[in-house]
Amino acid sequence: MTRKKVKLAFISNDSARKATFKKRKKGLMKKVSELSTLCGIESCAIVYSPYESQPDVWPDARGAGRVLAQFKRMPEMEQSKKMVDQESFIRNRIAKAADQLKKLHMDNREKEVTHLMYHCLTGKGLHCLALPDLNDIAWMLDHNLKEIYKRIEAIRMDHAPPERTQQQHLFAEWMGNPGDQMGGDEDIIVPFNDTNSHASTIWSNVIFP
Amino acid sequence: MAKKPSMGRQKIKIQKIEVKNHLQVTFSKRRSGLFKKASELCTLCGVEIGIIVFSPAGKVFSFGHPNVESIIDRFLTRNPVPNAHDPFHLVEAQRNASVRELNLQLGHILNEVEAERKRGESLDAMRKANQSHYWWESPISKLGLEQLEQVKVAMEDLKKNVNQQAANAVFMANRGGVFDHYETKPLPSHGSNINNIAAAAANGNFGYCHGFF
Repeated sequence: MTRKKVKLAFISNDSARKATFKKRKKGLMKKVSELSTLCGIESCAIVYSPYESQPDVWPDARGAGRVLAQFKRMPEMEQSKKMVDQESFIRNRIAKAADQLKKLHMDNREKEVTHLMYHCLTGKGLHCLALPDLNDIAWMLDHNLKEIYKRIEAIRMDHAPPERTQQQHLFAEWMGNPGDQMGGDEDIIVPFNDTNSHASTIWSNVIFP
Repeated sequence: MAKKPSMGRQKIKIQKIEVKNHLQVTFSKRRSGLFKKASELCTLCGVEIGIIVFSPAGKVFSFGHPNVESIIDRFLTRNPVPNAHDPFHLVEAQRNASVRELNLQLGHILNEVEAERKRGESLDAMRKANQSHYWWESPISKLGLEQLEQVKVAMEDLKKNVNQQAANAVFMANRGGVFDHYETKPLPSHGSNINNIAAAAANGNFGYCHGFF
Protein backbone atom coordinates (compact mmCIF):
# COMPACT_ATOMS: atom_id res chain seq x y z
CA MET A 1 0.00 0.00 0.00
CA THR A 2 1.63 3.20 -1.20
CA ARG A 3 1.79 6.17 1.14
CA LYS A 4 1.18 9.12 -1.12
CA LYS A 5 0.41 12.38 0.58
CA VAL A 6 -3.28 13.12 0.07
CA LYS A 7 -4.35 16.70 -0.43
CA LEU A 8 -6.81 17.64 2.29
CA ALA A 9 -9.64 18.73 0.02
CA PHE A 10 -12.95 17.36 -1.16
CA ILE A 11 -12.30 14.55 -3.63
CA SER A 12 -14.11 15.54 -6.77
CA ASN A 13 -13.74 12.23 -8.55
CA ASP A 14 -16.84 10.24 -7.51
CA SER A 15 -15.37 6.75 -7.57
CA ALA A 16 -12.14 7.81 -5.88
CA ARG A 17 -14.20 9.55 -3.22
CA LYS A 18 -16.36 6.50 -2.61
CA ALA A 19 -13.31 4.25 -2.38
CA THR A 20 -11.59 6.59 0.05
CA PHE A 21 -14.73 6.81 2.09
CA LYS A 22 -15.05 3.05 2.44
CA LYS A 23 -11.41 2.62 3.47
CA ARG A 24 -11.22 5.51 5.86
CA LYS A 25 -14.56 4.83 7.46
CA LYS A 26 -13.44 1.29 8.17
CA GLY A 27 -10.21 2.62 9.65
CA LEU A 28 -12.07 5.15 11.74
CA MET A 29 -14.34 2.50 13.24
CA LYS A 30 -11.32 0.37 14.01
CA LYS A 31 -9.67 3.27 15.81
CA VAL A 32 -12.74 3.96 17.93
CA SER A 33 -12.93 0.33 18.87
CA GLU A 34 -9.25 0.20 19.82
CA LEU A 35 -9.52 3.34 21.89
CA SER A 36 -12.41 1.89 23.83
CA THR A 37 -10.66 -1.39 24.52
CA LEU A 38 -7.21 -0.01 25.30
CA CYS A 39 -8.49 2.61 27.70
CA GLY A 40 -11.55 0.83 29.00
CA ILE A 41 -13.89 3.68 28.15
CA GLU A 42 -17.30 4.16 26.58
CA SER A 43 -17.58 5.73 23.14
CA CYS A 44 -19.59 5.78 19.95
CA ALA A 45 -19.22 6.91 16.36
CA ILE A 46 -21.94 7.83 13.90
CA VAL A 47 -21.22 8.33 10.22
CA TYR A 48 -23.76 9.61 7.70
CA SER A 49 -23.00 9.29 4.03
CA PRO A 50 -24.76 9.75 0.70
CA TYR A 51 -24.02 6.11 -0.06
CA GLU A 52 -26.28 4.62 2.57
CA SER A 53 -29.67 5.56 3.89
CA GLN A 54 -28.81 4.42 7.40
CA PRO A 55 -25.81 5.77 9.29
CA ASP A 56 -22.81 3.58 10.00
CA VAL A 57 -22.61 3.21 13.74
CA TRP A 58 -20.08 1.90 16.26
CA PRO A 59 -20.47 -0.18 18.30
CA ASP A 60 -24.06 -0.63 17.02
CA ALA A 61 -27.29 1.33 17.18
CA ARG A 62 -28.12 0.12 20.69
CA GLY A 63 -24.62 0.69 22.07
CA ALA A 64 -24.50 4.16 20.52
CA GLY A 65 -27.90 4.94 21.97
CA ARG A 66 -26.62 4.01 25.41
CA VAL A 67 -23.58 6.27 25.08
CA LEU A 68 -25.73 9.13 23.80
CA ALA A 69 -28.08 8.75 26.75
CA GLN A 70 -25.10 8.84 29.09
CA PHE A 71 -23.88 11.93 27.29
CA LYS A 72 -27.21 13.70 27.59
CA ARG A 73 -27.39 12.92 31.30
CA MET A 74 -24.30 15.05 31.87
CA PRO A 75 -24.72 18.72 32.76
CA GLU A 76 -24.89 21.01 29.75
CA MET A 77 -21.58 22.63 30.61
CA GLU A 78 -19.74 19.34 30.85
CA GLN A 79 -21.13 18.32 27.47
CA SER A 80 -19.94 21.43 25.70
CA LYS A 81 -16.63 21.92 27.49
CA LYS A 82 -14.74 19.53 25.25
CA MET A 83 -17.09 19.66 22.31
CA VAL A 84 -15.53 20.57 18.99
CA ASP A 85 -16.47 20.87 15.39
CA GLN A 86 -14.02 20.91 12.50
CA GLU A 87 -13.23 24.58 12.82
CA SER A 88 -12.55 24.63 16.54
CA PHE A 89 -10.66 21.36 16.34
CA ILE A 90 -8.31 22.70 13.67
CA ARG A 91 -7.92 25.99 15.51
CA ASN A 92 -6.79 24.09 18.60
CA ARG A 93 -4.25 22.18 16.55
CA ILE A 94 -2.96 25.43 15.08
CA ALA A 95 -2.56 26.91 18.55
CA LYS A 96 -0.67 23.85 19.77
CA ALA A 97 1.58 23.93 16.71
CA ALA A 98 2.25 27.63 17.26
CA ASP A 99 3.36 26.93 20.84
CA GLN A 100 5.59 24.14 19.62
CA LEU A 101 7.12 26.43 17.00
CA LYS A 102 7.83 29.13 19.55
CA LYS A 103 9.61 26.70 21.83
CA LEU A 104 11.66 25.29 18.96
CA HIS A 105 12.62 28.82 17.90
CA MET A 106 13.88 29.54 21.38
CA ASP A 107 15.77 26.29 21.69
CA ASN A 108 17.39 26.75 18.31
CA ARG A 109 18.33 30.32 18.99
CA GLU A 110 20.00 29.19 22.21
CA LYS A 111 21.97 26.57 20.30
CA GLU A 112 22.92 29.13 17.69
CA VAL A 113 24.14 31.63 20.24
CA THR A 114 26.15 28.95 22.00
CA HIS A 115 27.83 28.11 18.73
CA LEU A 116 28.53 31.79 18.09
CA MET A 117 29.96 32.19 21.54
CA TYR A 118 32.41 29.33 21.15
CA HIS A 119 33.35 30.63 17.74
CA CYS A 120 34.19 34.03 19.18
CA LEU A 121 35.98 32.42 22.08
CA THR A 122 38.76 31.44 19.74
CA GLY A 123 39.20 35.07 18.85
CA LYS A 124 37.43 35.22 15.53
CA GLY A 125 34.73 37.35 13.99
CA LEU A 126 33.58 39.54 16.83
CA HIS A 127 33.55 42.73 14.76
CA CYS A 128 31.24 41.16 12.23
CA LEU A 129 28.31 40.73 14.55
CA ALA A 130 25.28 42.91 14.99
CA LEU A 131 23.99 44.17 18.27
CA PRO A 132 21.35 41.54 18.97
CA ASP A 133 23.89 38.76 18.54
CA LEU A 134 26.40 40.56 20.73
CA ASN A 135 23.81 40.95 23.46
CA ASP A 136 22.84 37.33 23.25
CA ILE A 137 26.45 36.18 23.37
CA ALA A 138 27.00 38.35 26.42
CA TRP A 139 24.01 36.70 28.06
CA MET A 140 25.28 33.25 27.18
CA LEU A 141 28.71 34.08 28.58
CA ASP A 142 27.15 35.23 31.83
CA HIS A 143 25.12 32.05 32.00
CA ASN A 144 28.14 29.85 31.39
CA LEU A 145 30.36 31.77 33.76
CA LYS A 146 27.80 31.38 36.50
CA GLU A 147 27.86 27.64 35.99
CA ILE A 148 31.64 27.60 35.89
CA TYR A 149 31.93 29.52 39.15
CA LYS A 150 29.48 27.13 40.74
CA ARG A 151 31.36 24.12 39.47
CA ILE A 152 34.74 25.43 40.56
CA GLU A 153 33.29 26.14 43.97
CA ALA A 154 31.84 22.66 44.16
CA ILE A 155 35.16 21.05 43.27
CA ARG A 156 37.00 23.15 45.81
CA MET A 157 34.47 22.19 48.48
CA ASP A 158 34.89 18.52 47.69
CA HIS A 159 38.62 18.65 48.16
CA ALA A 160 38.80 21.20 50.92
CA PRO A 161 39.45 19.94 54.44
CA PRO A 162 36.44 19.94 56.76
CA GLU A 163 35.76 23.14 58.70
CA ARG A 164 38.08 23.43 61.66
CA THR A 165 37.98 25.62 64.68
CA GLN A 166 41.17 27.29 65.81
CA GLN A 167 41.62 24.72 68.53
CA GLN A 168 41.15 21.77 66.27
CA HIS A 169 43.63 23.29 63.89
CA LEU A 170 46.24 23.64 66.55
CA PHE A 171 45.49 20.16 67.83
CA ALA A 172 46.02 18.70 64.38
CA GLU A 173 49.30 20.56 64.09
CA TRP A 174 50.40 19.27 67.43
CA MET A 175 49.47 15.75 66.35
CA GLY A 176 51.73 16.17 63.37
CA ASN A 177 49.46 16.21 60.34
CA PRO A 178 51.25 18.62 58.07
CA GLY A 179 49.48 17.78 54.83
CA ASP A 180 46.00 18.74 55.96
CA GLN A 181 46.64 22.43 56.02
CA MET A 182 46.94 22.79 52.28
CA GLY A 183 43.84 23.33 50.14
CA GLY A 184 44.70 20.23 48.17
CA ASP A 185 43.97 21.91 44.86
CA GLU A 186 47.30 20.94 43.46
CA ASP A 187 46.19 17.35 43.50
CA ILE A 188 43.40 17.91 41.10
CA ILE A 189 45.24 18.79 37.95
CA VAL A 190 43.33 16.93 35.34
CA PRO A 191 45.37 15.79 32.42
CA PHE A 192 43.85 16.87 29.16
CA ASN A 193 44.51 15.77 25.67
CA ASP A 194 45.29 18.95 23.87
CA THR A 195 48.87 19.73 23.04
CA ASN A 196 49.11 22.76 25.25
CA SER A 197 48.95 22.88 29.00
CA HIS A 198 50.68 26.16 29.75
CA ALA A 199 48.13 28.36 31.41
CA SER A 200 49.90 31.55 30.39
CA THR A 201 49.66 31.00 26.64
CA ILE A 202 46.20 29.51 26.47
CA TRP A 203 44.44 31.53 23.89
CA SER A 204 47.26 32.41 21.57
CA ASN A 205 46.94 31.51 17.91
CA VAL A 206 49.33 28.64 18.31
CA ILE A 207 46.74 26.51 20.04
CA PHE A 208 43.72 26.99 17.89
CA PRO A 209 44.02 25.61 14.41
CA MET B 1 19.14 20.34 25.98
CA ALA B 2 18.48 17.78 23.21
CA LYS B 3 15.32 15.73 23.60
CA LYS B 4 15.73 11.99 23.89
CA PRO B 5 14.38 10.36 20.73
CA SER B 6 10.96 8.80 21.30
CA MET B 7 10.42 5.08 21.04
CA GLY B 8 8.72 5.33 17.68
CA ARG B 9 5.89 3.11 16.55
CA GLN B 10 5.46 0.13 18.85
CA LYS B 11 3.02 -2.65 18.12
CA ILE B 12 0.74 -3.23 21.09
CA LYS B 13 -1.90 -5.74 21.94
CA ILE B 14 -5.45 -4.47 21.89
CA GLN B 15 -6.44 -5.04 25.48
CA LYS B 16 -6.96 -2.80 28.45
CA ILE B 17 -3.74 -1.03 29.40
CA GLU B 18 -2.62 -1.90 32.90
CA VAL B 19 -0.40 1.05 33.81
CA LYS B 20 -2.61 4.02 34.63
CA ASN B 21 -0.14 6.57 33.34
CA HIS B 22 0.25 4.78 30.00
CA LEU B 23 -3.50 4.51 29.77
CA GLN B 24 -3.98 8.23 30.21
CA VAL B 25 -1.27 9.14 27.72
CA THR B 26 -2.65 6.66 25.21
CA PHE B 27 -6.13 8.01 25.65
CA SER B 28 -4.99 11.57 25.08
CA LYS B 29 -3.00 10.78 21.97
CA ARG B 30 -5.46 8.39 20.39
CA ARG B 31 -8.46 10.55 21.05
CA SER B 32 -6.72 13.42 19.31
CA GLY B 33 -5.74 11.18 16.41
CA LEU B 34 -9.26 9.84 16.16
CA PHE B 35 -10.75 13.31 15.85
CA LYS B 36 -8.10 14.15 13.29
CA LYS B 37 -9.07 11.15 11.17
CA ALA B 38 -12.73 12.03 11.50
CA SER B 39 -12.08 15.61 10.45
CA GLU B 40 -10.12 14.43 7.42
CA LEU B 41 -12.87 12.04 6.42
CA CYS B 42 -15.37 14.87 6.58
CA THR B 43 -13.26 17.10 4.37
CA LEU B 44 -12.22 14.45 1.87
CA CYS B 45 -15.59 12.84 1.37
CA GLY B 46 -18.05 15.49 2.44
CA VAL B 47 -19.77 13.28 5.02
CA GLU B 48 -21.29 14.05 8.42
CA ILE B 49 -19.81 12.46 11.52
CA GLY B 50 -20.36 12.48 15.25
CA ILE B 51 -18.04 10.91 17.82
CA ILE B 52 -18.47 10.80 21.57
CA VAL B 53 -15.70 9.60 23.86
CA PHE B 54 -15.66 9.34 27.64
CA SER B 55 -12.26 9.82 29.23
CA PRO B 56 -10.84 7.53 31.94
CA ALA B 57 -11.48 10.41 34.34
CA GLY B 58 -15.13 10.61 33.36
CA LYS B 59 -14.98 13.77 31.25
CA VAL B 60 -16.57 13.65 27.83
CA PHE B 61 -14.98 14.65 24.54
CA SER B 62 -17.01 14.99 21.38
CA PHE B 63 -16.40 15.80 17.76
CA GLY B 64 -19.14 16.59 15.27
CA HIS B 65 -19.43 17.75 11.71
CA PRO B 66 -21.31 19.95 11.07
CA ASN B 67 -21.77 19.87 14.86
CA VAL B 68 -22.33 17.31 17.58
CA GLU B 69 -25.89 18.33 18.45
CA SER B 70 -27.23 18.06 14.93
CA ILE B 71 -25.76 14.58 14.51
CA ILE B 72 -27.22 13.41 17.82
CA ASP B 73 -30.64 14.83 16.96
CA ARG B 74 -30.54 13.30 13.53
CA PHE B 75 -29.62 9.92 14.96
CA LEU B 76 -32.13 9.92 17.78
CA THR B 77 -35.10 11.22 15.86
CA ARG B 78 -34.24 9.12 12.85
CA ASN B 79 -35.53 11.81 10.57
CA PRO B 80 -34.85 11.63 6.87
CA VAL B 81 -31.95 13.67 5.50
CA PRO B 82 -32.71 17.41 5.54
CA ASN B 83 -33.39 19.06 2.20
CA ALA B 84 -30.28 20.28 0.42
CA HIS B 85 -32.05 23.31 -0.97
CA ASP B 86 -32.74 24.93 2.33
CA PRO B 87 -31.10 28.28 3.25
CA PHE B 88 -28.51 26.56 5.48
CA HIS B 89 -26.74 25.35 2.38
CA LEU B 90 -25.02 28.71 2.24
CA VAL B 91 -23.91 28.43 5.84
CA GLU B 92 -22.40 25.06 5.10
CA ALA B 93 -20.51 26.43 2.10
CA GLN B 94 -19.07 29.19 4.24
CA ARG B 95 -18.10 26.76 6.95
CA ASN B 96 -16.32 24.55 4.47
CA ALA B 97 -14.46 27.56 3.10
CA SER B 98 -13.15 28.55 6.52
CA VAL B 99 -12.19 24.95 7.25
CA ARG B 100 -10.22 24.97 4.03
CA GLU B 101 -8.47 28.14 5.12
CA LEU B 102 -7.71 26.72 8.52
CA ASN B 103 -6.34 23.52 7.10
CA LEU B 104 -4.02 25.53 4.88
CA GLN B 105 -2.87 27.54 7.86
CA LEU B 106 -2.33 24.37 9.86
CA GLY B 107 -0.35 22.75 7.07
CA HIS B 108 1.81 25.82 6.78
CA ILE B 109 2.63 25.99 10.46
CA LEU B 110 3.29 22.25 10.68
CA ASN B 111 5.83 22.66 7.89
CA GLU B 112 7.51 25.42 9.87
CA VAL B 113 7.63 23.20 12.94
CA GLU B 114 9.23 20.44 10.93
CA ALA B 115 11.79 22.85 9.48
CA GLU B 116 12.73 24.14 12.92
CA ARG B 117 13.04 20.62 14.22
CA LYS B 118 15.42 19.73 11.41
CA ARG B 119 17.41 22.87 12.09
CA GLY B 120 17.69 21.87 15.71
CA GLU B 121 18.98 18.48 14.73
CA SER B 122 21.70 19.89 12.50
CA LEU B 123 22.70 22.35 15.21
CA ASP B 124 22.98 19.44 17.63
CA ALA B 125 25.10 17.50 15.17
CA MET B 126 27.39 20.48 14.69
CA ARG B 127 27.76 20.91 18.43
CA LYS B 128 28.56 17.25 18.90
CA ALA B 129 31.19 17.37 16.17
CA ASN B 130 32.79 20.45 17.71
CA GLN B 131 32.86 18.86 21.14
CA SER B 132 34.89 15.96 19.87
CA HIS B 133 37.47 18.36 18.44
CA TYR B 134 37.66 21.12 21.01
CA TRP B 135 37.89 20.24 24.65
CA TRP B 136 36.70 23.66 25.79
CA GLU B 137 33.33 23.09 24.19
CA SER B 138 32.65 20.10 26.40
CA PRO B 139 29.86 20.48 28.95
CA ILE B 140 31.03 22.24 32.07
CA SER B 141 30.32 19.26 34.26
CA LYS B 142 32.89 17.24 32.35
CA LEU B 143 35.79 19.65 32.73
CA GLY B 144 38.52 19.40 35.32
CA LEU B 145 39.47 22.23 37.61
CA GLU B 146 42.32 23.62 35.59
CA GLN B 147 40.35 23.40 32.39
CA LEU B 148 37.53 25.25 34.07
CA GLU B 149 39.91 27.97 35.15
CA GLN B 150 41.16 28.36 31.60
CA VAL B 151 37.72 28.53 30.09
CA LYS B 152 36.68 30.94 32.81
CA VAL B 153 39.47 33.34 31.95
CA ALA B 154 38.78 33.10 28.25
CA MET B 155 35.08 33.76 28.72
CA GLU B 156 35.66 36.68 31.06
CA ASP B 157 37.98 38.12 28.47
CA LEU B 158 35.49 37.60 25.67
CA LYS B 159 32.78 39.15 27.74
CA LYS B 160 34.82 42.31 28.05
CA ASN B 161 35.36 42.39 24.31
CA VAL B 162 31.72 41.73 23.55
CA ASN B 163 30.57 44.51 25.82
CA GLN B 164 33.06 46.84 24.21
CA GLN B 165 31.91 45.84 20.75
CA ALA B 166 28.28 46.30 21.75
CA ALA B 167 28.97 49.74 23.15
CA ASN B 168 30.66 50.66 19.87
CA ALA B 169 27.72 49.42 17.90
CA VAL B 170 25.27 51.47 19.94
CA PHE B 171 27.49 54.51 19.62
CA MET B 172 27.74 54.11 15.85
CA ALA B 173 24.01 53.66 15.53
CA ASN B 174 23.17 56.72 17.57
CA ARG B 175 25.78 58.81 15.86
CA GLY B 176 24.57 58.82 12.30
CA GLY B 177 21.16 57.25 12.60
CA VAL B 178 22.42 54.70 10.12
CA PHE B 179 20.83 51.35 10.79
CA ASP B 180 22.69 49.20 8.40
CA HIS B 181 22.83 45.96 10.28
CA TYR B 182 19.87 46.12 12.59
CA GLU B 183 16.41 47.24 11.68
CA THR B 184 14.64 46.96 15.03
CA LYS B 185 15.18 48.89 18.21
CA PRO B 186 18.28 47.87 20.13
CA LEU B 187 17.68 45.11 22.62
CA PRO B 188 18.21 45.72 26.33
CA SER B 189 21.70 45.24 27.67
CA HIS B 190 23.27 41.90 28.25
CA GLY B 191 20.86 41.19 31.06
CA SER B 192 18.32 40.20 28.41
CA ASN B 193 16.70 36.86 28.96
CA ILE B 194 16.10 34.16 26.45
CA ASN B 195 12.60 35.44 25.65
CA ASN B 196 14.01 38.56 24.12
CA ILE B 197 16.37 36.36 22.19
CA ALA B 198 13.37 34.59 20.75
CA ALA B 199 11.82 37.90 19.77
CA ALA B 200 15.04 38.91 18.07
CA ALA B 201 15.15 35.62 16.26
CA ALA B 202 11.62 36.11 15.08
CA ASN B 203 12.61 39.50 13.70
CA GLY B 204 15.41 37.89 11.75
CA ASN B 205 18.24 39.87 13.30
CA PHE B 206 21.12 37.74 12.21
CA GLY B 207 23.39 40.48 10.99
CA TYR B 208 26.41 38.38 10.13
CA CYS B 209 28.82 39.50 7.48
CA HIS B 210 29.18 35.98 6.24
CA GLY B 211 26.76 33.19 7.03
CA PHE B 212 27.90 30.79 9.70
CA PHE B 213 24.78 28.75 9.37
